[in-house]
Amino acid sequence: MGKFVQLVVDGLSTGSIYGAIALAIVLVNQATGLINFAQGGMAVLSAYVAWWQTTHGVPIVVAILVSILFSFALGAVVERWLMRRFERGDPDTAVVVTIGLLTLITGLCGWLWTYNNQQFPSLFPLGTVSFLGVSISIRSIGTTLVIIVAMLLLQGLFIGTKLGLALRAVAINPQSAAFSGLPVGRLLMVGWGLAAALGAVAGALVAPQLTLTPGMLDNALVYALAAVILGGLTSPVGVVVAAWIIGVLENLAAVYVDVIGFDLKVAVPFILIFVVLIVRPQGLFGRKTVVRV
Amino acid sequence: MASPMVSPQQGTLSWWQRPWVRWAALVVLLVVLVVAPLQLSEFTNQTIARIGVFAVAVLGLNVVMGYTGQVSLGQIFFLGFGAYVTAYGVTNEWNIVLTFVVACVAPAVAGLLVALAAARLGGLAIAMVTIALPIVGVPLAKRLSDFTGGSEGLSTAFARAPEWSGLFDDQWQLYLVLVIGGVTYLLTRNLVRGKYGRAFAIVKGNEAVASSMGISPYRYKVLAFTIASLIGGVSGFLYMIVIQYTSPETLSFGHSINLVAAMVIGGSASIVGSILGGIYYVLVPQLTNAVDPSLTALLQGAILLAVLFVLPGGLVSLPRALTRGRRRSHASRGPVAPPTTPPSTTGSGTTAEEPETERQGHA
Repeated sequence: MGKFVQLVVDGLSTGSIYGAIALAIVLVNQATGLINFAQGGMAVLSAYVAWWQTTHGVPIVVAILVSILFSFALGAVVERWLMRRFERGDPDTAVVVTIGLLTLITGLCGWLWTYNNQQFPSLFPLGTVSFLGVSISIRSIGTTLVIIVAMLLLQGLFIGTKLGLALRAVAINPQSAAFSGLPVGRLLMVGWGLAAALGAVAGALVAPQLTLTPGMLDNALVYALAAVILGGLTSPVGVVVAAWIIGVLENLAAVYVDVIGFDLKVAVPFILIFVVLIVRPQGLFGRKTVVRV
Repeated sequence: MASPMVSPQQGTLSWWQRPWVRWAALVVLLVVLVVAPLQLSEFTNQTIARIGVFAVAVLGLNVVMGYTGQVSLGQIFFLGFGAYVTAYGVTNEWNIVLTFVVACVAPAVAGLLVALAAARLGGLAIAMVTIALPIVGVPLAKRLSDFTGGSEGLSTAFARAPEWSGLFDDQWQLYLVLVIGGVTYLLTRNLVRGKYGRAFAIVKGNEAVASSMGISPYRYKVLAFTIASLIGGVSGFLYMIVIQYTSPETLSFGHSINLVAAMVIGGSASIVGSILGGIYYVLVPQLTNAVDPSLTALLQGAILLAVLFVLPGGLVSLPRALTRGRRRSHASRGPVAPPTTPPSTTGSGTTAEEPETERQGHA
């Protein structure tokens, strides 16, 4: 029983990381209709920025906050100076541009800070707490909580503020938004910035566990994409729930299903996707969209 | 989408559009391809052979992604599958023709099975299902070590030059790649220029229109995907001829992503673009490695972005871009080429709108 709970909590914590990146992907997709493969790479870059500051004696919390601001700026710059040229063109080209960006960022991190693993200081103590006779690692709980708070903040921004309203307007219909006088270009930059900032939070939280390498989030990106499809591209909440489901199921399957084991646990989300999409092509929580001919 | 249809009725054919020029060019090309392997160095021959291998793989990807518009991120899986089947067949001393046939058919069947389920989904969901192929394929290849040799992989050198030919191994291998790859290209070209190609284009353009014309999008998506897997299997066989070694690393996700990048860089929905994609796939890493191994990834990313920034249509659109640029600089008073407006976010780009809604609609 204790093992089971531990597995579930750990699953929720990794699921939160996938969820944060998945949410960032959904943010970008809602705003610009494309999938950003570089979302994980940008998060890694900001984790490196945070780590680099800590090696110069900056306290970890400050370093992470600075890296989040850096990420916001990075996202905005990437949107304005790189992606905008491709946003209205062939979507395949735009996707490949993000792949190129991923390669570029990975190469940049590797060049500046080598491909060796770097020890990233943890935000949370490494111990465990006992709860009803079950020991649970503080880091897992902390990671999950921070991500939930970040998501609530984001939700509040989108629902409760004027900026959020404008962002939603642009996501739903950029042309009408432009006609009603919204600065669409700048709002797209903000959207990309927010997505990158969210990714930065995820990067900083997962870095101590995985140790920092340029390819740290490549796997997480795949899981995040799986969560995006499973949850449905139109549903931010659904995506996060899907990410948790994936994180937990994957952990449980690795331990309790012998055929799967640790090497094939990566297959779990895809089997899940396969089954779910056959039954519900719009994803677990997505809305069915109608195409006008 | 613009298909390079040449209508011979046009009064003003530019010189390279005349039939005899095209035939002459073809003959010259054939002669060069026959003679060149005998003259070039071993390293060059091997490089060209590797380009051939990946050009075939990119061609397969182009059938499903470029022509039919279904994003596939799993093409490398079919290459790897074909390579494993070839290696297995050769180690167990199957007849080489039989090995080749199985190496093509087995991936095609796998592709058919995946497509039967995946083609029900639209847009990005297909991409996600196909992403699973390399992601799951790597641990699976390690697990099935009885067939695949586990993490160490399989190596076989079966394509040695026969005695009677008097050729070196690298020359013989290059000829094999050229013949098999050339036939594959010819068949695929005929396929995409004909009835099926037009059906693919309609499915890519608008599925509702396709079904209203009696073309089942589902059936043609499955067909395109199966053909892509078949061609992937061919490239896997060629891979074993040239590289002679396969391991789980062969079908890693990174390679699959690079194939997609190579296809778009070369030119989507273009036969010549597929060859250019193969050249890009092989030469750019070699080039960046030669410059500075520690900068490889950085330079590759930068080159990819730079190419697409200048030529969003891929390398194959270079001549068109050049002519357009020349025309614009020559006759500024003449009618301006229409589709050169820079993309603006506020503009109501009607042409670009359609694929976007299509994509969102299926996700």
